[in-house]
Amino acid sequence: MDKNTENVNENEMSMGRKPSNMQDNMSEKDEFAKTVKETEDKTYWRSFRELYKDPAFNAELKNEFGKESATTPDLAKLSTVSRRKFLALLSASAAVAATGCNSYQDRGVIVPYNQKPEEITLGLPNYYASTCTGCTSVCGILVKTREGRPIKVDGNPDHPVNKGKICTKGQASIMNLYNPERLKEPMFNKGQTAWNEANKNIVASLGSAAASGKEIAIVTHRILSPTLKKIIDEFKVVYPTTKIYSYEVFSDSARRSAWQKSYGKRNMPALQLDKAKIILALESDFLGNDSNQLEYTRLFMQNRDVINGNEFNRLYAVEGAVTITGMNADYRLRLKSDAVEEFVMCLLNEFVNKKKLSGFAADGKVNQVFASNNIDQFAAKYNLDAKAIKNLIEDLAKNQGSAIVMAGDKLPESTHIAVNLLNDVLGSNKLYSQDADNIELMPLSTPAEMESLTENMSVGKVAAVIHFDTNPVYNLSPEFGYAAALAKVPVSVTLTEMVSETSELSNYVLPVNSQYESWGDFKTRTGFYSLQQPIIAPLFNTRQKEAVLLNWKDTKEYNENLYKDYLTENWEKNVYASMGAAVPFKKFWNSVLHDGVALFNEKPEAAGTAFNADAFAGSARMKPSNDFAILLQNNNGVGDGRFASNGWLQELPNAVTKIVWDNYAAISVHSASELGVNSNDMVDISIGGRKQSFPAYIQPGLADKVIEISLGYGRTAAGVVGTGVGVNANVLIAKSPALTERLYNNAQVTRGSGTYELISTQEHFPIDSDPLLKDIQFRRGIIRQGTYDEYKKNPKFLKHESHLNMEPINTPPVYDREGFTGYKWGMSVDLNKCTGCAACITACNVENNIPIVGKDQVKDNREMMWLRIDRYYYGTPDAPAANFQPMLCQHCDYAPCENVCPVAATTHSDDGLNSMAYNRCVGTRYCSNNCPYKVRRFNYFDWRDRFHDGVQYAEPLDLMANPEVTVRSRGVMEKCTFCLQRIMKERQDAIQENRGVIGSNVKTACQEACPAYAIEFGNYMDKESEIAKYREHPLGYGVLEEIKVLPNVTYIAKLRNVNEPMHKTEEH
Amino acid sequence: MKKFLLDYGIKVRIPIILFAAAASFALTYYITYAERTGIGYQPEQPIAFSHKLHAGDMQIDCQYCHVGVEKSRVASVPALNVCMGCHSLARVDKPEIQKLTQYYNENKPLPWKRVHRVPDFAYFNHSVHVNKNISCQSCHGEVQNMDTVANNKFKSIGQVNSFTMGACLDCHRTAHEKFPTLPNLNKGPENCSACHR
Repeated sequence: MDKNTENVNENEMSMGRKPSNMQDNMSEKDEFAKTVKETEDKTYWRSFRELYKDPAFNAELKNEFGKESATTPDLAKLSTVSRRKFLALLSASAAVAATGCNSYQDRGVIVPYNQKPEEITLGLPNYYASTCTGCTSVCGILVKTREGRPIKVDGNPDHPVNKGKICTKGQASIMNLYNPERLKEPMFNKGQTAWNEANKNIVASLGSAAASGKEIAIVTHRILSPTLKKIIDEFKVVYPTTKIYSYEVFSDSARRSAWQKSYGKRNMPALQLDKAKIILALESDFLGNDSNQLEYTRLFMQNRDVINGNEFNRLYAVEGAVTITGMNADYRLRLKSDAVEEFVMCLLNEFVNKKKLSGFAADGKVNQVFASNNIDQFAAKYNLDAKAIKNLIEDLAKNQGSAIVMAGDKLPESTHIAVNLLNDVLGSNKLYSQDADNIELMPLSTPAEMESLTENMSVGKVAAVIHFDTNPVYNLSPEFGYAAALAKVPVSVTLTEMVSETSELSNYVLPVNSQYESWGDFKTRTGFYSLQQPIIAPLFNTRQKEAVLLNWKDTKEYNENLYKDYLTENWEKNVYASMGAAVPFKKFWNSVLHDGVALFNEKPEAAGTAFNADAFAGSARMKPSNDFAILLQNNNGVGDGRFASNGWLQELPNAVTKIVWDNYAAISVHSASELGVNSNDMVDISIGGRKQSFPAYIQPGLADKVIEISLGYGRTAAGVVGTGVGVNANVLIAKSPALTERLYNNAQVTRGSGTYELISTQEHFPIDSDPLLKDIQFRRGIIRQGTYDEYKKNPKFLKHESHLNMEPINTPPVYDREGFTGYKWGMSVDLNKCTGCAACITACNVENNIPIVGKDQVKDNREMMWLRIDRYYYGTPDAPAANFQPMLCQHCDYAPCENVCPVAATTHSDDGLNSMAYNRCVGTRYCSNNCPYKVRRFNYFDWRDRFHDGVQYAEPLDLMANPEVTVRSRGVMEKCTFCLQRIMKERQDAIQENRGVIGSNVKTACQEACPAYAIEFGNYMDKESEIAKYREHPLGYGVLEEIKVLPNVTYIAKLRNVNEPMHKTEEH
Repeated sequence: MKKFLLDYGIKVRIPIILFAAAASFALTYYITYAERTGIGYQPEQPIAFSHKLHAGDMQIDCQYCHVGVEKSRVASVPALNVCMGCHSLARVDKPEIQKLTQYYNENKPLPWKRVHRVPDFAYFNHSVHVNKNISCQSCHGEVQNMDTVANNKFKSIGQVNSFTMGACLDCHRTAHEKFPTLPNLNKGPENCSACHR
């Protein structure tokens, strides 16, 4: 095959079609039938190229490192220093070093503290509770510090909502604190200035603005802090012309206002998802990127636990996009996003008019709205699986009071009202908590308010605008014309941590403290406050943003306790007094700061009124269109763009597509072929005059005529890491959208010009490489799954899955060898609980000092993450299901890597760890070649030095490193160590306390981070331990068991709660 | 003629050269061994602190100052406020104490010269050894007798034992012979992950 045909093939494959030269002797119909037959096998595939058995992909499978790894470096890009000059410099520097050194034995100095803080013991960590302000969830966090430096973040176990877990962004946020590109000094018109100078001028401008009656605009994100709200109220008294504008790119405003219209109160009760037996998710990513992910994941997974024995819940997902939730659903129905409301109407008709489930059956005003909606016709029209629909209706009818319909954040108010009605009909109100309300301190600004702001700005009615840690130039719809309006404002101030599109256009840019340097209090739900305290003194000449406002309000002398004192006083006078605590305030304050949360008795406001039928009957309907629907998505990486300068998050593979360092227009197989685009081709998207071009990515399972795009990319001012990554999708947002800011159904999509290469890790580190086994490799039980019913009938039903010789081998296992310590480490991963959210990957990155390598190197299979989440599709490209499988070093008892190391750099420890001595490694890479799981990572470069000219070596980023883990250098192999440093800490504690090692005391970073509690770790020789229960569970299996390397990671087979059995006959 | 020269070269010159090279390498290796491992290294310290005076004559427990040694991986050099606990009153007239007081009052870092060092990739843990009742002196020598005044320069502590991996393993393998007074002592771990991570 010559090179051209090969390229053509690749392109066609990536479009989801079979390549033309394979169709030679087949009619199209035959070919389709064959494809369907092949894909009906329980065959797992990771990409179209693999599904259709692309010969080039087969070749890549055989070659571990991919063709790019062998490329010779581009000489022009290398250093221009000649060999001669290099030697001259070397000898000169050696001479200088020799003269400068008085003793070659010199070992440097030890500098002790002058005044050691009492709580610090060198070498031991301290933990402080605080609050993460990375998004509106404001989760409680527990920050691990060493010698005063925050080095790791996890959730605060005492926090009632997130209970000890945080998301990918929270985990990686530690890098924002140490980002070398944080603003360090206040700036005025791009020149450095002093705080006092800036404050003096700004206060003068604010004073004259207030005196002349001109508006002072404060543009902020959602106000979540009661004390900040108080400051703003007082600020308004001093400067009466002040107006507050708040916006969020990702908000649940539509749901809230629907709740208000339905039940007459704006505060929504918390949802008790753990009591739901049937869950219908409508375009909702409640397990992924919709609001309240952590709590929902925890509650949902309580009923997906094979150890506690709870009855499994059942999840139906109806969606146009492909979300984490959809991929984890038992039944997933592919439906264009703007038809969701019609689907709800069909269900309403089914339950109200046909089954007469509620009093609304007699309410003509209500039931005539959906009288003409027929579910069967609807299913036929949208080609939905009739069997699944039948199951859904039966399940919902059968489980009244324990079924819940969840609508996504992106759906419009009218859909949410209809869903509220549906939940009312199904009696799902019982699942709403009587004890806790999600409260809102201040509603977000409406589009009309934002529009009046920009109008006032452009006509000169606004004298000063203060961006309170916001980036409206980038975030807001281009139709507001915010940037142009900002130019007309005489004084623009941006308080920000990092440079942004808005700060570039502002007069004053004032650097503010990061969340690890700040004080604060936050309230999102009744019954508790979440407290924020600084973990480290400000690294640069920054100030807390609340303190800056206070300073302008009071014009007092600034000191760094300004906001702390204000906060404490506010708590003493208002909060403490209202709580009626029995202890004196100082004690109370210290204890709530210690806990990170202040719990108290607070009843939610009185329950709202009964469902307001008028709101339902009167709302405008979302009508499906024939145009493309565009979904603007949140993501597990950069969020709304504020994490763009965080390389860990940019390099984190997208949960579903596994694409790194980019956003893209995900498009279905059929829509792509209608448009004639391949993956990587540019598509032009236009919504009512707003245009943008994106690289296309063909996503299996996406509904036809639906395109999903991540927001938060395409930043033009986000430092060297974040600038120019991806394409800005904010420009597609309408200022007053017909549906919501993030959902449009009137888009025109055409093929654009040119291509752009997207890099996905999905084909990296393929597990099998023997061509002889090609046809059976995906039946080798890498993923095992069955149905919940089959499991209940026979818990051991998957034990016979493997047809290969499973006889044990005769060599003694580790625990029979000499020197065995009596404990043996093992991990279990419950595939029933893993959602694929990737919190574990980020946690591992932070804990183990994993470097960022950059997009060009990920392309060459050189990403360094020790833990990856393999995503296996199965089924057809139209309606795939997916399995997520975290894959890390299995610490095999008979580790193949150990046998081939020529220098014994990787060996086995007595407690069953496959250990890696970096200082012995000479970089032959034999171990990686021989690893069946492909979990070893090689340092082709000193990544910290190579990536963006050594930004990872710049100060103060070096303070971020975990001192208990070696920072690896060029030329050595590395891999997961089972968090050896934490094991050694437990060993140290055991010796100190004169007891044995207790396996369950060790929590690996991934285990600690997992919001679904899918990972368990410990000593499985202790038969009472959790890990032993998992290890001996009938669903437990080892990946590639048959090669008898005896892996120490046990996977718990995936159970799908579907009615149709998956194991009809014995396979093979 | 040419052939003879070649033979001479092979038979005589090359062996002599090789022998000389090997012998000089071995000799240098042997003679400099102690110095390379740092045995006898005793740098001059910024303040003339005497371990002999404090730990020897006055019998102050090691852990009074090196507080981390039982709890943590590092023994830790005492913070200046620990010194000042006594020396804000004791011996305030001595010039060395005045130096110390100056460091403390001006909040200046006090750069003690480092004596013992294991490489960064080895994670030695003080607490596990001390909690097994292995005395400080087993590795650090008779610290309570150490102080040297040479050329009017005060050297407070020196290295006595080798801190190479071989020295660690030697002890780990023969713990019972090395510590006959500690009958309950297990052999130390010999796997890589015990120190390298």
